Amino acid sequence: MTLSLLDLEACFEGVVPSIIATADGNGVPNISYLSHVAMVDGEHVALSNQFFGKTSANIRLNPQATLIAVDARTGVQFRLQLTFAYSLDAGPLFEHLSLQVDATSAQVGMAGVMRLRGLDVFRVLEIETVRSTIEPERNASPGRNRLAAAARVVELIAAENDAEGIVDATLTGVETWLGFEHGLFLELYEERHQLVTIGSLGYEPSGIGSDVEMGEGLIGAAAAGGNIVKVSDMSRVRRLNAAVRDSLSDENRTRSIVLPGMPDAISQIAVPLAVAGTVRGALFFESRARLAFTREDEAALSIIARHAALALAFSERTSEEAEAERRAQPPSPATDRGIHVAHHRFDDSVFIDGTYVIKGVAGRLLAWMLEQHLANGRSEFTNREIRLDGGLRLPDFKDNLETRLLLLRRRLEEKRLPIRLMHLGRGRIALEAEGRVRLSREGV
Amino acid sequence: MIDEDLARFIESPVMQIIGTADTALRPEIGRGAGAWVSADRRSIHLVLSGWQWPATVINLRENGRAAVTFSRPADYVSYQIKGEATLRSAEPEEVERSGRYLVAMVSTLMRLGIAAEIIAPWLSNRNPLLVSIEASDIFLQTPGAKAGTRIWSAAA
Repeated sequence: MTLSLLDLEACFEGVVPSIIATADGNGVPNISYLSHVAMVDGEHVALSNQFFGKTSANIRLNPQATLIAVDARTGVQFRLQLTFAYSLDAGPLFEHLSLQVDATSAQVGMAGVMRLRGLDVFRVLEIETVRSTIEPERNASPGRNRLAAAARVVELIAAENDAEGIVDATLTGVETWLGFEHGLFLELYEERHQLVTIGSLGYEPSGIGSDVEMGEGLIGAAAAGGNIVKVSDMSRVRRLNAAVRDSLSDENRTRSIVLPGMPDAISQIAVPLAVAGTVRGALFFESRARLAFTREDEAALSIIARHAALALAFSERTSEEAEAERRAQPPSPATDRGIHVAHHRFDDSVFIDGTYVIKGVAGRLLAWMLEQHLANGRSEFTNREIRLDGGLRLPDFKDNLETRLLLLRRRLEEKRLPIRLMHLGRGRIALEAEGRVRLSREGV
Repeated sequence: MIDEDLARFIESPVMQIIGTADTALRPEIGRGAGAWVSADRRSIHLVLSGWQWPATVINLRENGRAAVTFSRPADYVSYQIKGEATLRSAEPEEVERSGRYLVAMVSTLMRLGIAAEIIAPWLSNRNPLLVSIEASDIFLQTPGAKAGTRIWSAAA
């Protein structure tokens, strides 16, 4: 059987390190482990060059090399005869691998140390299977149809017309049709240069409202680079997650929400949400399974992410035209309970009865609605009038109003607070308070 | 000279890779199936499956130039030893020692979460040969800024 590079897909996942042998001009051999091997095209592979100086030197004196790559699903070893073709230190392939190397190094606390200096590209002359005393199991992966799965998720997204529906359809659709049970939907808030969690799947607490800096970690790297970033084996990776999780008192003190995560995740993937060439957010999934995300999954998630991003951008536009009919408002429960809302102007953080809710634009929106409610008894608002109120200082460009309101609504629900936001239909929301609100504003 | 710490490392469950080259300077790779240091600590003995790695055997017979890397899978601490190698059939007690290494290596990799059936194709001592390499140079090979640093040379 003639083998092609396409048969070696599972060797390039970075799970079992590949080994390269080279020899200098006198035939003195050298062995080196490789962290990243990537397929360039049907005839070329690229090897990461972080610091294996001897290999780099040898191939310039003697371009012949032999590579052993291991199929991480079956353990089958392949022997590739290579000849050094050229080096790369720029371009899309370099950027993509560089991102991959940076993200995985950051996860093991080696950010910067492992920086990709160059890629050495080799032409593949011959591929052989190394004989084994054990006959490996053939084709361990079940025949899953990722194209059909992507189509089903895209259908679910297309049936929705507001931000909440789109975010939920994306995450639950991926869970149902692709089988990934832990994930996040994050949106880019440009004024903060952060990605903020607006949808969450499989985590308790949900982490709605948690944020990631652009460029930081797997998620930040995927969004900053506009490329999928994936780790297929975290078992030896020291995770740098915050040790303290879901501590309420901490949240109230730090005014930040911990990004949820599985402490024992083995595979992770972050997929950028892009529209019209601009990254607007990211999808993130993780799994306890090794090699949970195949190239087919990457393709399916990429299709799903593009549809979700497009649908979200479109819903933002249409939310301007609020649905005409007003729904009957549920009567506010008439209790005398006092609710104290504190709004800190310096970071627009809002606390309800001492519990941290949210900060930034979403915090400002909540304070504004409460102010209107107290001043003239209003409890219904349309996106249009929120946008028109100059006092809100909404970022005028791509304000993400729909998803900010969604984020706010979910935070209020998750924290079981006596103030709630109700979705009344496209572009229209209602504020509900189970008591008498007292709003104090601190700072200028 | 292989110091005591390095000798212990070599004889612990670490992955063993042997590199050779043919007369046309084409390099070759093989996996070791057990290794230990000679009594005078000048050489390494490595068991190699002649059945699984025939090209390596040919190269060793032709020119004897070898590089052996020992790498601990849990933290990638690695050393590479280069030198001239000789080859002969392994004696029964050497095969037995290789068998103990294979069991220890599989256990170590399984503790890192790799399934036994995945590991099985890598480790064989069928048609066992004993490669003896007289160390001429020793290098630190752990990934990082110091990878490739020579830590000992017979010429020095």
